[in-house]
Amino acid sequence: MPALLTAQTSDYSHGMAAARQPAQIDEADCIRRAQAADTRAFEALYRMHIDKVYGLCLRMTGNVSEAEDCAQEAFIQAWNKITRFRGDSAFATWLHRIAVNAVLGRMRKSKRERDRIQVAAEISTSPTAMHDSGELRDLAEAIDRLPQGARHVFVLNAVYGYSHEESSNMLGIAVGTSKAQLHRARRLLSQQLGEDRE
Amino acid sequence: MTEHREQRFMADAANLATEIAPERDLWPNIEAEITRPATRAGIPWFAQAAAVVALVGASSFITYELTKSDVQTSPVVTSVAFDAEFTSFGEELRLAPSFDSARNGLATDLDMVLDDLSPDARAEVEENLAVIRNAVADIKLALEREPGNEHLQGMLADAYREELAMMRRVGGLTRSVMSRNDI
Repeated sequence: MPALLTAQTSDYSHGMAAARQPAQIDEADCIRRAQAADTRAFEALYRMHIDKVYGLCLRMTGNVSEAEDCAQEAFIQAWNKITRFRGDSAFATWLHRIAVNAVLGRMRKSKRERDRIQVAAEISTSPTAMHDSGELRDLAEAIDRLPQGARHVFVLNAVYGYSHEESSNMLGIAVGTSKAQLHRARRLLSQQLGEDRE
Repeated sequence: MTEHREQRFMADAANLATEIAPERDLWPNIEAEITRPATRAGIPWFAQAAAVVALVGASSFITYELTKSDVQTSPVVTSVAFDAEFTSFGEELRLAPSFDSARNGLATDLDMVLDDLSPDARAEVEENLAVIRNAVADIKLALEREPGNEHLQGMLADAYREELAMMRRVGGLTRSVMSRNDI
């Protein structure tokens, strides 16, 4: 039985979601229709999954503007590739994989760009922390301050629950590297949060 | 103690929000992108030309940023001066022989410099030069239909200027051969 997900209808207007009555939408049906180039169906998929995709992009980049660009790019790529989606994994996982690629592609663009993102993340209040409650904010901010490689692995592994095999596959790194980066991330977080609390 | 603390971080991390709503609706931009016609058919020629020139400027900047760290010689300021106020040629549009000659010289020097660039930088430069040269060709075609169109003439001058500027930047050339009087 196909999963029924909730999403706003196509006349959705941002900021008014809470005022609208969500419609029950069949994800599998939307995928089939999107594969037949139905943009309304793809919009429904966007509504279902944007928070998951944007959340991942924001956790990985630590920057609102970059996360928006990456999420947007991910959905454009998803539209271009949707006929290749065969349902071997959950649609959300497939989208996450594309989103990770979008983030990595953006990071690879140029060293200058990476430096700019890094500086923006360092000088601004953590944009991810505001979405977390109370004591988790310190942790969210500390994650934002992690070096890029360690942050990506920690976000995929510890926050989103992907295995080392899955996260290393998404990031294009060896499983051993993923494990080493996670270990490094834990150690750095321990140092950061230990110092903060002392 | 440390191990215990690290394990707690892992447990806490699993409780962080995984779904975060963006501050603005991204769908309009996505929709515009995925519904954009794939071909250029139906787009007015002047819109195509304007878009190409805009792209030229952006791509030149990107190329400059990309290559400035690869090229060992410093870009040198030359006497090339295409002031905006002089970019309209009026009814008579001619390229002086000295322009073609100097342009060919720059292109030859550029070919040698390209060999010293990284593959990525070289590909980027070549791609951007192709964009500019396609822009020149498109604008010339449009000018054949409207030879007196000063807007198109200005765009053609911009495109030539971008091409020369890119070749100078990439090549770090010392030639001071171009001036608007050559066109």
